[in-house]
Amino acid sequence: LGKLQLKKETINDVAGLEQKLSGFDQRQLPWLERMEITATKPIEIPDINDDFSRELAFYNQALAAVEIGRHKLEELGVLHKRPEDYFAEMVKSDDHMQKIRTKLIEEKKAMERSE
Amino acid sequence: AQLKKQSTTGKWSNKQRVLVFCARGVNFRTRHLMTDVRTLMPHSKKDVKLDRKDKLFVVNEVCEMKNCNNTVFFEMRRKSDLFMWLAKTPDGPSVKFLVENVHTMDELRLTGNHLKGSRPLLSFDSTFEEQPHLQLLKEMLIQIYGTPNYHPKSKPFVDHVLNFSWADNRVWFRNYQIVDTEVDKEMTTTLNEVGPRFVLNPIRIFAGSFCGATLWENPFYVSPNEFRRQQRRAASTKYLQRVQ
Repeated sequence: LGKLQLKKETINDVAGLEQKLSGFDQRQLPWLERMEITATKPIEIPDINDDFSRELAFYNQALAAVEIGRHKLEELGVLHKRPEDYFAEMVKSDDHMQKIRTKLIEEKKAMERSE
Repeated sequence: AQLKKQSTTGKWSNKQRVLVFCARGVNFRTRHLMTDVRTLMPHSKKDVKLDRKDKLFVVNEVCEMKNCNNTVFFEMRRKSDLFMWLAKTPDGPSVKFLVENVHTMDELRLTGNHLKGSRPLLSFDSTFEEQPHLQLLKEMLIQIYGTPNYHPKSKPFVDHVLNFSWADNRVWFRNYQIVDTEVDKEMTTTLNEVGPRFVLNPIRIFAGSFCGATLWENPFYVSPNEFRRQQRRAASTKYLQRVQ
């Protein structure tokens, strides 16, 4: 799709953007309030249309962020791990998870049958 | 010292409230995406669908009534093109995105799952620091998608991470569960994707909330209409070229 024409002149009001950002930003807040982690290098995806390499790049970025984030939480002395016996409502319902599980088992069986 | 004080006193100080709602005429998938977004954000509020005849500026009044200072607003055009607005109401800025590659939590057969209402880590790649418009986008994403500390509806555990990456001039959104497994008496951390997935293609950044001057415009943005037109045109010359 390299043929798609790009607009010649587009607005990029750098001064306006910076002024607006300073008007509402909360970067001075303590880290714990925001829990934001920025990677040290930009993400590298060899081919954006290749699902596997793309998802792997996202995964690695998230994993690196988790390591840094957890380290910071521990430094601050914040309890962040869920106790084993703590049960509460999850994002996905048990019904939904059960469906996923049966589907996975079915797929596995189908694989075995075909072998 | 300030950090320590924050972590010991359990006070909800960063009061971000986000109104998540849509205009009339969105399809089922958008509706499901909207509920997914709501479940990820314990600090969100909902409202009835906005009438399509209303001017978008009305959103600001709805927000004020609901006591919200942020908005995620979905609207659909031509029953196929989904747009997402992120706005800091009432003073702005606001961003309009085209939403592409939507996969809701229900559709994706992903094995991850996490607590409803736990606070996410927010992961960004370093591109977000490189340009002013990306810095602004990042700040908005943090304030809207991050759950405020000690929010009454939140749970005090960190078991998932929201990943934002800037690739192909778009923001890619992923949500992973953090899993600890013990292998040979050593704890290793892995991630399980939970969903949903979507890609945000920014169109414009406005100074105000649903109004005001344009601060930035995406030079790479091609409207879905224009995209379809060009595709049709390319397809129509296919046979001509074959003859020559």
